[in-house]
Amino acid sequence: MAVPLTVVDDSKISRKMVIRALPPGWDVEITQAENGEEALAAYRAGKADVMFLDLTMPVMDGYEVLEQLQKESLNTFVVVISADIQPEAQERVKKLGAMAFIKKPVKTENIVAVLEEYGLL
Amino acid sequence: MSIQPYTEDQADALQEVANIAMGQAGDSLARILDNFVTLSVPRIRQIEVKELADTVTAMVGEEDVSAVRQAFYNALRGEAIVIFTQSGADELAELLGYDCELDAAIEQELLLEVGNLLVGAILNGISDTLGTELGFSAPSLMAEHTPLRQVLAPDRLTWEQALLVEVNFSVEKHRFKSHLLMFMTEETIETLRHILDDFMDGL
Repeated sequence: MAVPLTVVDDSKISRKMVIRALPPGWDVEITQAENGEEALAAYRAGKADVMFLDLTMPVMDGYEVLEQLQKESLNTFVVVISADIQPEAQERVKKLGAMAFIKKPVKTENIVAVLEEYGLL
Repeated sequence: MSIQPYTEDQADALQEVANIAMGQAGDSLARILDNFVTLSVPRIRQIEVKELADTVTAMVGEEDVSAVRQAFYNALRGEAIVIFTQSGADELAELLGYDCELDAAIEQELLLEVGNLLVGAILNGISDTLGTELGFSAPSLMAEHTPLRQVLAPDRLTWEQALLVEVNFSVEKHRFKSHLLMFMTEETIETLRHILDDFMDGL
């Protein structure tokens, strides 16, 4: 069965870059969200077993999404996708419950590595 | 000559490319300063060169600054300028581990080195993402402890319209802040439009 995946980024081009980099063999049903509020709405509609999450967004940013997911003990596999590649930025999001971090521009091999590590592929 | 503004998609693509490149520059800076660097959201404006000083002053503030400039060329042509606010320039030495009183020559060397690091990282980020070739000149010191408006006097740039990309880097717990400005020529605005279209077609 297809995995419900929500790709969250305010940039349409960036969402396209992420979707294009998805491994061809991964059976997913893709939902796109432009900000954190839309991402949480997608989660509540059962469309985000996996969430690819950007950090810098208007309305509600990626950090707030992670905090909200933690606060409500919501269960989704969050991969943060960010241009801020500093090791400390990666540690910060992992402390907030993100399972993995992938740097922009996203490469298929980086997504595959994360999915394989957690047995999702 | 009037230049058509970028479409929403072209602007979105440029914003994303700037964001990726800034992330790489921020990471390089974090490594040499051994501190977490807070990144801004890139600001992109198509401006008349005569408005330059006003536009940049609105972004940076009415301050005395030191500035390092480098020209870039090949696929895209323009100037990259790294602006250090006064406190930013002062903090730089401390962050780099100099605890003594600095002489002017060492301070200049630090500004050139950090300017070059930021410009090199951001240009490499842009050329890697867009698949273009970019070269750049050695850095030169443009101004020290000079009012920003004076640094950006319009006679320093010879064209009429420019594309301005601004990103800034600050270090939490210190007063370090620097702004990286890229000005691209009229001709480059059009070249970049095609490069962005090709980039999007490839997605």
